[in-house]
Amino acid sequence: MIPELGHILVIITFVISTMQCCYWLYNLRYTNIDVVRVLQKGSLINFLFIFLSFLILTYSFITSDFSLLIVSNNSHTLKPLIYKISGVWGNHEGSLLLWVLILSAFTFFVSLKDSINSKLLASIIGVQTVILSLFLAFILFTSNPFERVDELPLDGRGLNPLLQDPGLALHPPMLYIGYVGLSVSFSFAVAALVTGEISKDWARQMRPWIAIAWSALTIGIALGSWWAYYELGWGGWWFWDPVENASFMPWLIATALLHCVRILEKKLIFINWTILLSILAFSFSLLGTFIVRSGLLTSVHAFASDPSRGVFILIILGISIGVPLILYSIKSSSFNEEKGNFDIVSKESAILVNNLFLTTATLTVLIGTLYPLFLDAINGNKVSIGPAYYNATFAPIMTPVVFLMAIAPFLNWKKYTDKNFIKKLIFLSAVTLLGGTLLYLIEEKSIFALISGSLSIWLFTGVITDLISKIREAKVKLQNIKQLFFFISKINIGIHVAHIGVAIFLAGVTGEQFYKSEYNVIKKVGDIINIGTKSLKFDKIENIDGPNYNSLMATFTLYENNKFISKLRPEKRFYTNEKSQTTEAAILSDFWGDTYLVLGEGDKKTGWSLRIYSNPLVSWIWAGAFFMAVGGILSVTQKSSRFRNV
Amino acid sequence: MNPKYRRLFITIFIVLTLGLATKLILMALEDNIVYFYTPNDLIEKFGDTQNIQNKIRIGGLVLENSIKKVDKKTIFIITDKKKEVKVVFDGSLPDLFREGQGIVAEGMFKNNNFIASEVLAKHDENYMPPEVAEALKKNNVWKGDAD
Repeated sequence: MIPELGHILVIITFVISTMQCCYWLYNLRYTNIDVVRVLQKGSLINFLFIFLSFLILTYSFITSDFSLLIVSNNSHTLKPLIYKISGVWGNHEGSLLLWVLILSAFTFFVSLKDSINSKLLASIIGVQTVILSLFLAFILFTSNPFERVDELPLDGRGLNPLLQDPGLALHPPMLYIGYVGLSVSFSFAVAALVTGEISKDWARQMRPWIAIAWSALTIGIALGSWWAYYELGWGGWWFWDPVENASFMPWLIATALLHCVRILEKKLIFINWTILLSILAFSFSLLGTFIVRSGLLTSVHAFASDPSRGVFILIILGISIGVPLILYSIKSSSFNEEKGNFDIVSKESAILVNNLFLTTATLTVLIGTLYPLFLDAINGNKVSIGPAYYNATFAPIMTPVVFLMAIAPFLNWKKYTDKNFIKKLIFLSAVTLLGGTLLYLIEEKSIFALISGSLSIWLFTGVITDLISKIREAKVKLQNIKQLFFFISKINIGIHVAHIGVAIFLAGVTGEQFYKSEYNVIKKVGDIINIGTKSLKFDKIENIDGPNYNSLMATFTLYENNKFISKLRPEKRFYTNEKSQTTEAAILSDFWGDTYLVLGEGDKKTGWSLRIYSNPLVSWIWAGAFFMAVGGILSVTQKSSRFRNV
Repeated sequence: MNPKYRRLFITIFIVLTLGLATKLILMALEDNIVYFYTPNDLIEKFGDTQNIQNKIRIGGLVLENSIKKVDKKTIFIITDKKKEVKVVFDGSLPDLFREGQGIVAEGMFKNNNFIASEVLAKHDENYMPPEVAEALKKNNVWKGDAD
C-alpha cells in the first residue's frame, strides 16, 4: 500500500503544479502580491509531497521491498545500508524522482524571496513550476518509480558493483543540485523576458543562485572524476568521455554567467547577453541529461534504453529551450540599456573576454561530443574523438582565460586608474619566469608542461598579489580574528579562493599529465619492485570474503629509502550476485602525489601482472575543485558589491 | 571608450576568436578522429593493411584459443567470423578480457600486425560494445542478447 501512496503523491503534485502553471499564465497581466502568495503555497505543497514520495521510495529500498520493480532490479538484501539508500538514485526512475525533488526544493526556496518584486517573482515561480510539471509528466508517463513486479522475486538483482562506492553515492545528488540549480537563473531570465522587468536588483538577486548551483556542479563533477580515478583502475581522472562533457558544458557556461552577471549588478549593460547565457546554462544541463539518459551513449550512466523516454526528453528539451529562445528573439531588443562607457583595460573588458573564450571553449567541447553522433547519423561511420582533439582545441582556448584570470582582478571597473598595474605585471612576470626556469631545471619535459606549470605559478602569484594589495588598500591591521573577519567582509574573498582553486587544479593537472610514470611488471610473491627511491615488496596474495563479494587481495609493503611507508592492498572483487568483477586499485596519497597500484591477471606459477603509476600532485586536482566550490559559496555570503569598488 | 567604437572593437574581437577556434576545431577533427572498423570492413575498404597509416579502432570477438602471452605482450586475434586481425598489446588488459568476448582495440598497423595502444571491454558479462554488436548483427553472426 505504501508505495501506491508515493505514486499518488506524484500524481497529485503533477495536477497541482499544472494548475499552478495555468493560474500563473492566467494572471500574468495582473500579477500582484496575492498571486505570489498563492504560488508560494503551491510551491510549498509541491515540495512537501515530492519529499514525502521520495522518502517512501527510500523506505522501500531500505526495507528491500522487492515487489517494486526498481528495487528488485537494483537492490539486494545483502547490500550495505548506504548503498541501499544510494541505490534510490542508482537507477533511471529513482534518479528522476531525485531530480524533481531538488527542483521542487529550489522552487520553494526561491519562492520565499519576497525581496524580489512581485511581478518578477510570480513569473520566476511560474517558470520553475512549468519545468516541474514537465518532469513530473515524464515520470508518470514513462518512468514510474513505484511500478510493481508481476511475480515477487526471492531477492533483488543488486546494484552495478561499480556504483557501490561512497564517492559515487554523493556524486549524483551534487551534480543534480548543480544542474537543477541552474534552472533558477534560467527562470530569472525567462521571467525577465515575460515581464520586461530587469534591473540591477534582478542581477543581484540572481547571482547567489548561480553561485550555489555552480559550486554544487563543481563538487559533483570532481566527485565523478575522483571516482573514475580510483575505481576504474586506469589511473586517469578525465577521459573527455561524452558523459563527462555533458556535465562540463553547463559548468563552463555557468562560469561565464557567474562573471558576466557582476557587470549587470553595476550597470545595466549587456542585458541580452546575460539573459542568453542564463538560458543556455540550463539548456546545457538538459542537453546533458538527454545525452546521458537517452541511451544514445553507452556508459554506467545510461540506465534506460527505452526509446520513448528519449523522445519525451527531446520534447521537454524542445519546450524548455525553444520557447525561451523564441521569446528572446522577440523581446530582447526591447530592453533599455544604460549608457556605459568603459576603458579597454577595465574589469568589464576582462569579463567580456572571459565570456567570449569560455563560450568558445564550450563550443569546442560541444562539437567534440556531438560530431561522432552526427557522423553516425549521416553515413553510419563510427568514430571516436579522444583527448588529442581536446588538447588541440580546448587547451589553447583556455590558456588565455587562465592568463587573464591572474591580472583581471587587479583592474577597476570602468576606468584604467590603477597606477600600480604595470608594477604588478612586472612582478608577476618575474616570479613566473623564475618559477618556469626552476621547473625547467628540475625536470625537462615538453613545452606544454612548461606552459601549463608556469601558468599555474602565474595565477597563484597573481591572486596572492591581489590579496596583498587589497589588504593594503583596506588599511586594516590583521592582528586578531575580529579584524580578519572585518577584512574578509570588505573584500570579495570568494573570488580569491576560487581563483587559487584554479591555480591548484592546474598544478595538479600539470603533474598528472606531464610528470607521471607508469610501470608494467609481472611479479611473484616475495619479489621486490624498484621505482625511483621507492620499492615495493610483494608480501602475499589471498582470498577474502566481503559483505557481498569475494576478493582476491594482494598485500605489498612500500618502502622509501628503505624506510617503511605503508602497506598497499590492491584487489580484484567478484560480485557473485551481479556476476561481475571490479578492480580495486590500492592508492597511497600524500601531499606530493600518489602511488597507484593495480592487480592484473596471473597465477602462482607465472606471477601476477601489476601496473604501478606514480602520479605527482594528482590530488591537487580535486583539492583545486574543492577550493573553487568553497570560493563559490563564499561569494554567496558576500553582500552585493553595490557600494564598493572591488 | 565610445560605445560605437566599442561595438566595432567587440565585433572584430569576436570574429577573430571564433575564426581561430573554427580553424583549431577543423584541424583537430582532421587529425584526431579515430574510425571504427570490423576486420571485414577493414579488408574491404583498404585491401591491404599496409595502406592504413592512421590510428583506428577495430572491434569484434576475441577468437577462441588465440590468446598468447609473450613476455609482457599479449597477442590475440579479433574476428568478426569473416576476417581476422592479429593484435599485439603490451598494456594491461581490462577485467573482462577473455576468449569469445566482444572487445574494441585502438592502435595502428605495423607490418601487418595491429599494435594496440588500448583495449576496451566493459565490466558487464553480457555487455557487448555497441559498435561491435551492430557490426556482428549486420554480418548475421551474432543475434544479440536473449532479452
